[in-house]
Amino acid sequence: MTRKIEIYPMNRVEGDLEITIELEDDVVIDARSAGTMYRGFENFMVGRAPLDGLVITPRICGICSTSHLYAAASALDMHFNVDVPCHAAWVRNITAMTEMLQNDFRQAFLLFMPDFTDTAYEEEPLYADMVKRYAPLEGSSVRQAIDETRRILEIISILGGQWPHSSFMVPGGVVSMPSNNELNRCAYLLNNFKQWYEHQVLGCNLERWQAVQTKADLISWIKESETHLKSDLGYFIRFAAKAGLHKIGKGHGNFISFGMPGLEIESERQTRVGQIPLTVGGFFSDNRLSSMNQENITEDVSHSWFASSGTSQHPYQGQSSPYATGSEDLRYSWAKAPRYKGMPAETGPLAEMVISSNPLFIDFIQLDGPSAFLRELARLVRAATVIPAVERCIKNAISTPGQYYIDHGEIENQLGHGLVEAPRGALGHWVKIKDNKISSYQIITPTAWNASPRDADGVRGPWEEALVGTRVKNPENPLEIHHVVRSFDPCLVCTVHAIDLR
Amino acid sequence: MKRTLFWLQCGGCGGDTWSMFNIESPNLPELFKSLDIEILWHPTISVKNRADQSQLLEDVLSGRQQLDFLCIEGAIIRGPRGTGLYDLANGKPKKDLVAALTRQAQYVIAVGTCASFGGFGADGEIEATGMQFLKWDKGGFVGESFQSKSGLPVINLPGCPCHYDIIGGTLSQLVSDAPLDLTEHQSPMEWYNIMVHQGCTRNEYHEYRVEDKGFGEKGCMFFHLGCHGPLAHGPCNKLLWHRRSSKTRVGVPCFGCTRPDFPQPYPFFETRNIEGIPLELPEGINRAHYMAYKGMAAAAAPRRLKTRKTGI
Ligand code: SF4
Repeated sequence: MTRKIEIYPMNRVEGDLEITIELEDDVVIDARSAGTMYRGFENFMVGRAPLDGLVITPRICGICSTSHLYAAASALDMHFNVDVPCHAAWVRNITAMTEMLQNDFRQAFLLFMPDFTDTAYEEEPLYADMVKRYAPLEGSSVRQAIDETRRILEIISILGGQWPHSSFMVPGGVVSMPSNNELNRCAYLLNNFKQWYEHQVLGCNLERWQAVQTKADLISWIKESETHLKSDLGYFIRFAAKAGLHKIGKGHGNFISFGMPGLEIESERQTRVGQIPLTVGGFFSDNRLSSMNQENITEDVSHSWFASSGTSQHPYQGQSSPYATGSEDLRYSWAKAPRYKGMPAETGPLAEMVISSNPLFIDFIQLDGPSAFLRELARLVRAATVIPAVERCIKNAISTPGQYYIDHGEIENQLGHGLVEAPRGALGHWVKIKDNKISSYQIITPTAWNASPRDADGVRGPWEEALVGTRVKNPENPLEIHHVVRSFDPCLVCTVHAIDLR
Repeated sequence: MKRTLFWLQCGGCGGDTWSMFNIESPNLPELFKSLDIEILWHPTISVKNRADQSQLLEDVLSGRQQLDFLCIEGAIIRGPRGTGLYDLANGKPKKDLVAALTRQAQYVIAVGTCASFGGFGADGEIEATGMQFLKWDKGGFVGESFQSKSGLPVINLPGCPCHYDIIGGTLSQLVSDAPLDLTEHQSPMEWYNIMVHQGCTRNEYHEYRVEDKGFGEKGCMFFHLGCHGPLAHGPCNKLLWHRRSSKTRVGVPCFGCTRPDFPQPYPFFETRNIEGIPLELPEGINRAHYMAYKGMAAAAAPRRLKTRKTGI
């Protein structure tokens, strides 16, 4: 028997999301994901002054506003053709990665884990523990996560004035000139966070965790000690196995990442360009890794509520007018469909792990393929790479005096793009400036990749595809669907597009 | 006495919610516990399945479930052409749900600039509006004469995002049943009867008109970089963020994000001026007096400021 189920509103999702699944018996045979809100953000930008994107675009998203700022500033670096000094790059990187730490644990503890406290799991032996730890606002781990994510954000307040929604990155660097005392304070805050992360989330120190390089290593790690078993990671691994998260949420197996920001100085030239990135960008499909070229990115609107000019387009050419009439049954979302070389791709911590050839995740992918479990695991352990990177940036900034801003001069290029790795994955701003005014501003957010609707060929977006094949125990309370979608860390406030005024 | 709270996100970025998570002493869970506020629904916090969600809505809308605080985050989206189809809930315009909930609440609180005044999209195709204001004009979504069950109009807590202390403080104040004095834009006096400029560590530079012309300098950003500190009401430099700093302290101009006209149509990072004197002067100031005063102040500026040999 085939039946259709609509899931709305899907809560603990940033922004508005509606999922429609089609079940045959109890297995999902088709899925549609729709963004149900249109904010027209890019449209606010057209006709405005070149620097205004630094103020407006962070306001697209209340949880990753520093990443939008970073992308907007990087696009402007290109317009002004200015090479950012190293110290400024470090401040940008410290703050962007701090925001990432905040995001990952708010996502895990406030948005993801509470699904495990659903009464559907009442019979599970670990259930009482899960409620104690992850009940909304009450759970012991939840409360710790609220405190620790608040504390770590103080780093952004020190270097950027406030969080969220500051505009301290500008073409040519950053406006703040932190003293060593302020940087020391950042180091102290980071160290506190690291201690909490090791003690509470991992149950071991970073070095021990980094020795986990294969699936077999992970199995022996968890059996190794009581503290591993009873850390948040330990609980996650054990409960996810009970809930069958490793069996659901496979998807296409295509991944895209723009790469994590730079760290050390490579050469004498003290610029961002001379920095070695923590991870490089790339595209992974069919078990093959290739380098990332933004020219291969297009957006398709065949199934979105936008008028289309027929073909899919690169964001520099992108045009969109909302609320197109006609093909009513085809169109179902306010999100567009980004594609890389015509293919859908998922993005986020797991994509980062795969593209940076992290041995543990490559092993899992080869043995079992992607899953909701693997995606969330990547998010929970990403901090083990990010924390040392932030540490190094702070240390570098303290150890040598340097410049935080150089005069950006005049605009030299009409086109500028900023591609950054945001908490949820690949984020890009493509900006055209004409006569000292913004003439087009196109943004592709990580969730736009993940939540994408079908394209002209009818190929599903990543989490639509990931839902297909999922066995749903109780259609009245389809928890499995929630697990799969949440493993992507959905953020629908981000998916909004705009009309082009030309 | 137990109170209840219902939080609805409309056309916004979620930033006020994430700001609220930064509440400290008490932290967020403690705050609600000590105020004895039950969260009926918050989209980021609640764990309720579909059936329970609809039951809850039914109970609130029929009045069976008492509703004390209705918090609206984000603008009310009315486009296209007044239909509200740009923002849907359960396949219906979300604005209709807002209207229905508004009728049941003791207090209606607009959290953030979008909910208060329309913010992003107020001039645009999405036809956004604030709850009881559209930019400077009273009326907005619920209309000029609206009062919630308590007899108060919509309480506006602007800011992009709203400072977390204001959210916690306003709820505490309302629970204590003490009167809440409001400004002409219906924001609590306690936090909005002060200029952002107050408490900025660049005040001394402002005083003697030692100006910042480019980024990353020490100086006041009012004269060239578009700082709205003396033109916007808000406690950024009094409360600080993470009790630590503020945008203007680190060198980012204040963009006046608490103002009804935010985001302003003119360029950020530039001061609109007439012959070098800002077009918009600090609230309530006489232009001629101000010019004379600033001229003399600049002449009297001490060397340590002129050479910028101070901390900020
Ligand atoms: S920078 Fe802005 S807030 Fe600070 S003193 Fe100058 S005008 Fe006031």
